[in-house]
Amino acid sequence: MDTANRHVIHLDLDTFFVSVERLLNSKLIGKPVIIGGTSDRGVVSSCSYEARQFGASSGMPMKLARTLCRDAIIVRGDMEMYSKYSKMVTEIVAERAPLFEKASIDEHYIDITGMDRFFGCLKWTQELRKSIIDNTGLPISFGLSPNKTVSKIATGEAKPNGLLEITGERVKPFLDPLSIKKIPGIGDKTYQTLRSMGISNIHTLSQIPMEMMERVLGKNGNMIWKKANGIDNTPVIAYHERLSIGTENTFEQDTIDISFMRQILTGMVEKVCFQLRKKQKLTSCITVKIRYSNFDTHTLQKQIAYTSLDHVILAVVKDLFERLYQRRMLIRLIGVRLSGLVHGVQQLDLFEESPQLIRLYQALDRLRIRYGSDAVHRAITTI
Amino acid sequence: MKFIVSSIQLLKSLQAISGVLNSSNTLPILDDFLFKLNEESLVITASDLETTMTVTVPLNQAEEPGSITVPAKKLLETLKTFPDLPLTFIINEETQSIEISTGEGKYKLTGHSADEFPKIPELENTASIQMASGVIATAINRTLFAAGNDDLRPVMCGVFCQLSPEDVIFVATDAHKLVRYTRKDTQSAEVASFILPKKPLNQIKGLLSHIDESVTIEYNQTNAAFTFSNIKLVCRLIDGKYPNYDAVIPKVNPNVLTIERLPFLSSLRRVAIFANQSTNQVRLKISGQELVLSSEDIDYANEAKERLTCNYLGDDLEIGFNSKFLLEMVNNLDTDEIKLEMSEPNRAGILLPVNAESSDEDVLMLVMPVMLAS
Repeated sequence: MDTANRHVIHLDLDTFFVSVERLLNSKLIGKPVIIGGTSDRGVVSSCSYEARQFGASSGMPMKLARTLCRDAIIVRGDMEMYSKYSKMVTEIVAERAPLFEKASIDEHYIDITGMDRFFGCLKWTQELRKSIIDNTGLPISFGLSPNKTVSKIATGEAKPNGLLEITGERVKPFLDPLSIKKIPGIGDKTYQTLRSMGISNIHTLSQIPMEMMERVLGKNGNMIWKKANGIDNTPVIAYHERLSIGTENTFEQDTIDISFMRQILTGMVEKVCFQLRKKQKLTSCITVKIRYSNFDTHTLQKQIAYTSLDHVILAVVKDLFERLYQRRMLIRLIGVRLSGLVHGVQQLDLFEESPQLIRLYQALDRLRIRYGSDAVHRAITTI
Repeated sequence: MKFIVSSIQLLKSLQAISGVLNSSNTLPILDDFLFKLNEESLVITASDLETTMTVTVPLNQAEEPGSITVPAKKLLETLKTFPDLPLTFIINEETQSIEISTGEGKYKLTGHSADEFPKIPELENTASIQMASGVIATAINRTLFAAGNDDLRPVMCGVFCQLSPEDVIFVATDAHKLVRYTRKDTQSAEVASFILPKKPLNQIKGLLSHIDESVTIEYNQTNAAFTFSNIKLVCRLIDGKYPNYDAVIPKVNPNVLTIERLPFLSSLRRVAIFANQSTNQVRLKISGQELVLSSEDIDYANEAKERLTCNYLGDDLEIGFNSKFLLEMVNNLDTDEIKLEMSEPNRAGILLPVNAESSDEDVLMLVMPVMLAS
């Protein structure tokens, strides 16, 4: 493939978690917002530009962030909600882009090589960006260049809520004056090593002989040198959705009735396990979620051996719920999610499951396939 | 303490017992070998608290009996580099300094007091049985692979030994596969049973393959000791009740597949490559005198299908297995032909050798299928 004439976009949602929270609660707009664990031991997972001005940054201990930025509004965050918005963005990208990679919850790479002949890359990108902003209401920044690294650096420069195109011949002039810290892959340690060598901007770094870089930084040196010279041949790898099956239920009225919630959980497990077996999948990770009446959301998960049997999963779900529901407070939502799915069917156990039990499972599943998934269920789930 | 020993002989003896040492220990003393010097021999011990191995090394020359512990890793590394030459050990028990000298070199290291080393368990109220080394080695080889790793089911992390006046039975299972190995040519005066953990079995498996002699096994409620050549191994038994394995072996298995082992093995290996790499499931479809092996990995659109001729008695049947289990078992048998006995797609399949050479031994391997959608 002609590597010089590629067109790769990097798109990054600005302060993604904060933007989602602001979408749901307009009072947060224009104020310093920090998202992360609310306890003293929690860490900051995202913060708004207003909070960054005070020195808060993601990855910082919450206690420190709170002292730096006293007026910050601290939000516990809801990964489920963020995933939902992230998925919305991914769907819009998938609809239009020929080849894209989801690098993280708020980052995508798109390879639009060849698009220039029809629409013009920049125009196409602008249209995509507008469509994402119109449809989700989330601010997003783009970088467009011949490769992933330069695009990512360009996005960083374009932020917040901007767009930057770096064409092939402008790569060097663009990179040269920037600090070496902007290169993805240079962390604190490498940065200090390079600074102690007197290197501060990318131009100097790109002038160092590659052999010397390898000697100082090992294998990584080669890669960093290439990046400094605007060379990055890594392809955009098509993205596969990580599969999971789940369900959740928001109660009409918040409740503290534990036996009622156990009933609901049992029904949920029956439902998702049947889906699992119907699709011939096995799960290796179970997540239980509860949301208290004040919208505080907690999840707990457990890794298990591959399974698709109700009674095995139900035991784990009940145990997780028991450990999760610690505060005597009204609950407004509970949910169960099975992830780490693989294609396959249940491995039978010599001692745990009797042949009768297996036949019971198969008979029940046959009934559900024929008469619908609600055809038969445990008596306890009848409310 | 002072003694002279051949470097090769010392290295060989240490290597025989060094497998017991863990790479990381909570007790630093367990990183050491215990040296105990008698009038004419050196007794070396390695331990991980659960398993303790002792080897006796004959000496040409020994003075001032005593004991000390020696850092195992350093000693082994040093010995590996020597050609065969006599080494003189001079040990000061008070300062715990160990001085090794060869003709040209002199090496010093510091040990610990022998008192700190955990005591070797003395077995009381024991019963004992004699077994040929070959019998034990084969029994371990046949069964050990089937034992489990699940800490939640500790009894399955070992090999169950059942002694009786008629025969000796070894059983291992991880709840998905099971092996029962019976020796009719070995008997015990008493009826007894115990569960041996995997680690000591792995240790003696290696050692017994080189020798041909009788091994004495002493056991009581909590420990077992194996004595052979110049080596003694004492291990703690796994505490708990072994599952009733006999009850889960299906007795009526009308569907019998007989097939040549090696062609089946190589087909299975090939087909398994195309199965999902986390679940490794393969499907066996048997109709008439034909076996079709198939697998698929939907995520990558991989698919394999092979047809094999076989000898089959019974109803047409479709059954799924984890190919890893099946491969391990077929690999572990050594007859030209094997038999797979089955009753239904949801019940265990039984693998048996056909025309085994020896009538003194009997192997039964059992593998649980996967729940194929009906």
